[in-house]
Amino acid sequence: MTKEAKKPFRQSVAEWRQFVYNPDSGEFLGRTAKSWGLILLFYLVFYGFLAALFTFTMWVMLQTLSSDIPKYRDRISSPGLMISPKPDTALEFYFNKSDANSYAQYISTLKKFLETYDDSKQSENINCTPGKVFDQNDVADKKACRFNLSELGQCSGKEDKTFGYSKGTPCVLVKMNRIIGLKPEGEPYIQCTSKEQDMVEINYFPPGGSIDLMYFPYYGKSLHAHYLQPLVAVQLAINSNSTNEEIAIECKILGSPNLKNEDDRDKFLGRIAFKVQMTE
Amino acid sequence: SASELEEKYGTSINKGLSSSRAAEILARDGPNSLTPPKATPEIVKFLKQMVGGFSILLWIGAVFSWISFGIQFAQGSRPQNDTNLKNSKTLIFVILPSPQQALVIRDAEKKELPAEQLVVGDIVEIKGGDRIPADIRLISAQGCKVDNSSLTGESEPQSRSCDFTHENPLETKNIAFYSTTCVEGTATGIVINTGDRTVIGRIASLASGVGNEKTPIAIEIEHFVYLVAGVAISIGVLFFIISVSMRYKILDSIIFLIGIIVANVPEGLLATVTVSLSLTAKRMAKKNCLVKNLEAVETLGSTSIICSDKTGTLTQNRMTVAHLWFDNQIYSADTSEDQTTQPFDQSSPSWTALSKIVTLCNRAEFRPGQENLPIMKRVVVGDASETALLKFAEVILGDVMSIRAQNKKVAEIPFNSTNKFQLSIHETDDPNDKRFLLVMKGAPERILERCSTIMINGKEEPLDSEKAEAFQTAYMELGGMGERVLGFCHLYLPENEFPDTYPFDTDSMNFPTSNLCFVGLLSMIDPPRSTVPDAVSKCRSAGIKVIMVTGDHPITAKAIAKSVGIISATSETVEDIAKRLNIPVEQVNRREATAAVVNGMELKDMSLQQLDDILCNHSEIVFARTSPQQKLIIVEGCQRQGAVVAVTGDGVNDSPALKKADIGIAMGIAGSDAAKNAADMVLLDDNFASIVTGVEEGRLIFDNLKKTIAYTLTKNIAELCPFLIYIIASIPMPIGTITILFIDLGTDIIPSVALAYEKAESDIMNRRPRNKKKDRLVNEQLAVYSYLQIGIIQSVGAFVTYFTVYAEQGFLPSTLLGVRVDWENNAINDFEDSYGQEWTKYQRMYLQWTGYTAFFVSITIQQVADLIIRKTRRNSIFQQGLFRNKVIWVGIFSQIGIALILSYVLMAYWFVAVPFAILIWVYDEVRKLFIRRYPGSWWDKNMYY
Repeated sequence: MTKEAKKPFRQSVAEWRQFVYNPDSGEFLGRTAKSWGLILLFYLVFYGFLAALFTFTMWVMLQTLSSDIPKYRDRISSPGLMISPKPDTALEFYFNKSDANSYAQYISTLKKFLETYDDSKQSENINCTPGKVFDQNDVADKKACRFNLSELGQCSGKEDKTFGYSKGTPCVLVKMNRIIGLKPEGEPYIQCTSKEQDMVEINYFPPGGSIDLMYFPYYGKSLHAHYLQPLVAVQLAINSNSTNEEIAIECKILGSPNLKNEDDRDKFLGRIAFKVQMTE
Repeated sequence: SASELEEKYGTSINKGLSSSRAAEILARDGPNSLTPPKATPEIVKFLKQMVGGFSILLWIGAVFSWISFGIQFAQGSRPQNDTNLKNSKTLIFVILPSPQQALVIRDAEKKELPAEQLVVGDIVEIKGGDRIPADIRLISAQGCKVDNSSLTGESEPQSRSCDFTHENPLETKNIAFYSTTCVEGTATGIVINTGDRTVIGRIASLASGVGNEKTPIAIEIEHFVYLVAGVAISIGVLFFIISVSMRYKILDSIIFLIGIIVANVPEGLLATVTVSLSLTAKRMAKKNCLVKNLEAVETLGSTSIICSDKTGTLTQNRMTVAHLWFDNQIYSADTSEDQTTQPFDQSSPSWTALSKIVTLCNRAEFRPGQENLPIMKRVVVGDASETALLKFAEVILGDVMSIRAQNKKVAEIPFNSTNKFQLSIHETDDPNDKRFLLVMKGAPERILERCSTIMINGKEEPLDSEKAEAFQTAYMELGGMGERVLGFCHLYLPENEFPDTYPFDTDSMNFPTSNLCFVGLLSMIDPPRSTVPDAVSKCRSAGIKVIMVTGDHPITAKAIAKSVGIISATSETVEDIAKRLNIPVEQVNRREATAAVVNGMELKDMSLQQLDDILCNHSEIVFARTSPQQKLIIVEGCQRQGAVVAVTGDGVNDSPALKKADIGIAMGIAGSDAAKNAADMVLLDDNFASIVTGVEEGRLIFDNLKKTIAYTLTKNIAELCPFLIYIIASIPMPIGTITILFIDLGTDIIPSVALAYEKAESDIMNRRPRNKKKDRLVNEQLAVYSYLQIGIIQSVGAFVTYFTVYAEQGFLPSTLLGVRVDWENNAINDFEDSYGQEWTKYQRMYLQWTGYTAFFVSITIQQVADLIIRKTRRNSIFQQGLFRNKVIWVGIFSQIGIALILSYVLMAYWFVAVPFAILIWVYDEVRKLFIRRYPGSWWDKNMYY
């Protein structure tokens, strides 16, 4: 190795040039054109065959799957909680009560989110029996239950187009992740708490933050096309002397033994924490 | 003269040095011992290991990860493990020289002193059996003989006297050298050199001055490291650029870079190589090759020239009767190591007479108490020739001692250099025969001079010129075979002149010493070991040139070379051709001669060019009468031809050459400590044939390392592809860094070591030694076949498993493309799958880990197939035998076992990649079939690694 290092620079450049293109033997990078052609042809055939094999095995694998429900659902046994609007980065709301621009983003998100809940979109949905799981296992045409926007009260966006943001009573919608076949037990409801209890007063729509069992179970995107997941609106009436303060809020799903909310590793399983800071 | 010497060394022959003067000189010159060669401190070795080879890549990775960790402390960094498993602690061969005492005259008194305290000018006395404590100029000697074999390689003890006989200190008779042994006699001398200034010391320092060459396997591994590092860094940098231009954050790009490097470096490989080499070294030790330097295991396999010492390696290192001449006929004797009978015709009465002389005219005796040992193994008191004759007689006649007792000795004249004969007079064992028997042996021409008759078939016939001619012919023939010839004659003394009571006086010689009856000749040689000719021919067929380098005489050397096949029966030297054609040596076409015998004196006057010429043009070479420096020159000459040179030797004189050689092989029994120290390998049974076994093992390990590396490199692609596709297609990460390390350092270790146990595919001793420059350990074909073919099949198989896991959990392949940013976003906890379900971040991560495990499991499954196909490179697995190497199965089960322990995943995912594993096997069988069917074709050239 040391001997090679001692080679004069010009010589090694010449050797490189020779390697890149050797005019005597017509070799380019150590192979002749014919040799390169053969090699490329070989790899074309080889990789072509592999690609075909890959496609074929994938096709076979997909044939074994149902288009309605996934084969395994063991990785999502319990649903996570999520809120809307969801700020871009972290779950932190910053807005100025008197500056419409500062919360415009939240409002448009909420509006867009609630569009699917509009009465006009729910024409095919039926009114279900409240408080009872709506089992449709034997029915081919699975119906979705109607979710009346009016249940969200002041947070429905009907009376107050700013969802309370302009009044210092911002609304946040809490939803539970859709999981095929999930049937909550008991009487699940959402409860939000803040460590700074005196700073904020929390109201729930529907009252008590309850989630009606009639919206369960979910049968999947293809079978249950018009399905709407139940929502709970949380209205945060922020104390006037707590403006400019950062308020941490944690919402949990309670009242149902089969919905987990205290997993050590998954901080969003049956619970969600977010922060609100309102300025004037 | 003695007084000049006294003056020169400031000493007195009778009184010696005074203690105080001795202490002064001791303080000036230092102790009389050889300074051991400097050893590299362990910490330096350790640090070299820490940063050598692949480790440097991992260190770079580590530095990068600390940088990125520092930058983005909050986000945390990808776990990064550093592995530095290379361990080449060699088997250390400890030699403890025994403390030596010397008898010194100091302060006019004889004292026993440790040899280290000797100084220049000391007067020392030595006697038979002593080791010479320093270089000594003899001032008086009585029948002193020294064994210089450790220094010059000459097998016979040399007589020493006070006479200055030669300018060259090595040749002159009045100097005895440090570390040689005094065999018999006594002597007194002045110490002229001590410690490192002795001849031996200078040779030893010559040896330590010779640099250690890099072993071929080290060069190969280095080449391999460069190759892998090149691939790792270029792919890493390429994808760094791609990811930056794809608007990934710089930090992410650095993390990708680290991932690519980790995936590319075969972390476990160096450990595997070391373990494989150790296993082979162990196996070789069982076959009497003790390997001191692990890497030497492979060097022996790539050896193309063996420079072998003669005495002790090729020969048995003991004189043995080889031929007899009586009744005008030459008979050969059995010279094998364990002779029990002699097959030649013993019916002639001449033989009876000859055997009687051999038995009686001999002073050698067996040491008592060895009756149960085989004759050849018994220890004899006496010189080499007499020992040979004694053993020869014992084998044929039985109890020599009782025969001697029956033929009582009445007078004796021992051998001396002026008479050049030995004589004794005995009573006969026949009670009716009252005559005395005079027996004599000695230099044949001297014996013949004293004879007037010659015994033919038991009858005395007059010694006419015709018979004398026959004697001359036989003498020349035996001498020409490099053998030492002795003549034997006898005479029955007439009863009337020499009655029972006749007073024999050896000083006045009052008995006839001429007109004797010549009986026969016996010739002796240090015969080759019986296993050597076979071993030499094996070397031949393996393309290894065997060169004999000896300090012995050219004639003897040539004779031994012929008898072991180093010079084959049909080839001739220039001199032979000249003799046959009857033309002067100069006119002979040198190209016609395949063999050459080069004398040390000729070598001295040769230019390097001429030496190269000889080494190039003759396939069978013998160097005789060579000095240690010349040995070194010969080795260097061979190395200039691009050969990998193995040197065998036992003496201190060999140690520079041993050190210079690519692999030095010392003799375990006869070898001196210096030789063992300088060597890379020690032959425990001193047998040249063991070298052949070593060569075979060395070649096998090279082939098997190739297989191991091919096996290890393959899965690197399957570890690398996920990163590349992750970056380009933005899919969730298919495999994690830790999982990669599970494969590299977990499941893959035992299987790759198992390949070291693989048997050879074909007769590896019938092919030429590998060409250092062309036959690389890791060649283009190996890399391309492993990386671009089998590796890609593995990746495809693993990706099918990956997509299966995600699809069965709800994410169809189409939804996975391009989701990376949202998938990894901690704030998105309602990530929708293909079925409308929503996933939290943690649930997605959990799924991703399942994906890792499934990916890991499918690589493992396909590595099982990879392991099986790597058993052979050319032959079908079914030719090689699927179950012949049991260790492979241990490897397979351990692989699956470790994977089962490390992972918990649905059993179904274990089987997704099985079709691809089968494809790997089938495809490789097809590859091998085409290679065997169409040798030399395009396929063979591109697909055989």
